[in-house]
Amino acid sequence: MKNINKNTVLMNLMRGRTFFVLLVLVIFFAAKSPAFLTVSSIISVMRHVALYGILGIGMTYVIITGGIDLSVGSVVGLTGMIAGGLIFQGLTILPLGITIYFNVPTIVVISLALGAIIGLINGFIITKFDVAPFIATLGMMNVARGLAMLRSNGATYQNIAGYEELGNTGFHKIGGSLGIIPNVVLIFAAIALIASVILKFTPLGWHIFSVGGNANASRLSGVKVQKVTTLVYMFSGVCAAVVGLITSAQLTAANPSSGDGWEMNAISAVVLGGTSMSGGVGTIGGTIIGAFVIGVINDGMIMIGVSEFWQKVIKGIIIVLAVIIDQFQAKLHARMALMQQSQEMNA
Amino acid sequence: MQRRCRRRKKRRQLPPESAEESATEGTEEALKGGGSNIIYVITASFATPMFETEANAVKETAEALGYEVKQVSHDDDLTVQAEVIDTAIADGAAGIVLDNAGAEGSVAAVQKARDAGIPTVIIDRELASDGVAIAQLVSNNYQGAQAVAEIFVEAMGEKGKYAELLGKETETACTVRSQGFHDVIDQYDELEMVAQETANWEQTTAYEKMGTILQANPDITGVVCGNDPMALGAAAACKEAGIKAVIISVDGSNEARDAILAGEMTATAMQEASIMASKAVNIIDKYLKEGATGYDDEKVLIDCTAITADNADKLNNFVLSE
Repeated sequence: MKNINKNTVLMNLMRGRTFFVLLVLVIFFAAKSPAFLTVSSIISVMRHVALYGILGIGMTYVIITGGIDLSVGSVVGLTGMIAGGLIFQGLTILPLGITIYFNVPTIVVISLALGAIIGLINGFIITKFDVAPFIATLGMMNVARGLAMLRSNGATYQNIAGYEELGNTGFHKIGGSLGIIPNVVLIFAAIALIASVILKFTPLGWHIFSVGGNANASRLSGVKVQKVTTLVYMFSGVCAAVVGLITSAQLTAANPSSGDGWEMNAISAVVLGGTSMSGGVGTIGGTIIGAFVIGVINDGMIMIGVSEFWQKVIKGIIIVLAVIIDQFQAKLHARMALMQQSQEMNA
Repeated sequence: MQRRCRRRKKRRQLPPESAEESATEGTEEALKGGGSNIIYVITASFATPMFETEANAVKETAEALGYEVKQVSHDDDLTVQAEVIDTAIADGAAGIVLDNAGAEGSVAAVQKARDAGIPTVIIDRELASDGVAIAQLVSNNYQGAQAVAEIFVEAMGEKGKYAELLGKETETACTVRSQGFHDVIDQYDELEMVAQETANWEQTTAYEKMGTILQANPDITGVVCGNDPMALGAAAACKEAGIKAVIISVDGSNEARDAILAGEMTATAMQEASIMASKAVNIIDKYLKEGATGYDDEKVLIDCTAITADNADKLNNFVLSE
């Protein structure tokens, strides 16, 4: 009895483990750098967090189904280049010899559709040809990065302001802010809310969990496994496209190497948030906290002036530590369930 | 805020002694080329305008001389570079123009090309060993960095806090440029470096990191950058934070020119990318035909030109018109 009480306390402490890590980090950096807890600094951190967070939300869905999406970083670069290119050069239809310039809302829709199509291709390859998600999206990571480079022959589109006479100005507004809250943070909040509601309260959410839990069993119980799997990759692609649009709008420049390695930040955020890499378990809330941990480590270490090389070492250690705690918690959980069972039987 | 400064040993290649180093061994028999009519131009990613200019200048010059040109990127990765050079050897390349991925790490790959009878001309970034390439047209990063650093000091009024954005720290160009900046700037006690960060030569990374640096140090009035894309990223972050800063870099791209003309950047050091690349082709051509490069020394330093608001309008694609 006593044992159970002790375990319950430990259990409750561990449930918020990542949040606890976040708290420790914030206190540490605030003590080291007086500028860390100012309003403008918090907003700056949140802007960075939002980028990893949006990628992480798409990635959470994918990882819950037991998959992985390595292509998101490249899709960030590609959508930026496509959007930037459409504003700068328009779309030339060669046989007709005409160039069409779209307005910004249309370009946004095209870019998001591009993200969805890339996700669709990922999902198609994974479900129809039975290719491991790691391999399929690794391939797409290279293809998308290559296409991004090809779009401008590697060059950066600078100053994508659009042309007044063509009516395609205003792209930079996507990267602007509402009052003091940057748009990217609002978009992050909106996507997080929608994704969380879908995952918790809709049949689709239940299907996503069941695909990751046991694909065969869910197929037998009537879940359209292939359709659900394809959908999550499409969602991840759209999330990456959103980030691609935002980063290029913030900078008013589109760079084909933008987003390089960001898939790893997204995966780290998801894992820190307690989503299991083997699928079936995970929450959007956890990923958000995970994204905050990554963002706070990144920005905090820059602000207190830790060298780049140590930044990498420390980030790596924190990620692995968090997962070790996660495993420990899972074991504890199983043991407690067992003890409760035996106690009930005794009674 | 502690001051952090990762300084390194002075590189042996710095002027002026390098100019006097011994020339290629004349006794050795000249390389014949791999048999085909193809010149390989191998550079870092074309995402940096300078490398694109190099590749295109090689293409233009070599095609005019009747060669076929293959443009390849090694993405600043030594392994990729070794693989690309293997491909060039297998392809029987007549010659290789290489902007290498690392001074020490590239020696073996270039030696391999030499062993296969293919002459290599190094451009922009130097190679650590002599006698491996037939010629090295090295961009004088040290002189270029010093030249813009002088402009920086003057524009800062010899005092104030500044940040430095470094490229990939494993690369010689990053180290040498940083050294050039500091050898000038550190003479002024009232100029204080309050942050130093790696931004991987990249615009997006520089923008994100500069934003964070400005949070910790809102009183920064200058930014020293290892290349143009990072300077543009820093300029965007400063503009957003409403900070007017003196920003300098090394490269000399059209994008930096536009930023200088718009008043968002102060100066950049233009590397003679176009001239180095076309010279390299001429050297290979001459060498294949006559068995000599026509230069006394293997290593030739090509000086950079400082670009400021005064001459920026004359700059186009790494060429300064009269």
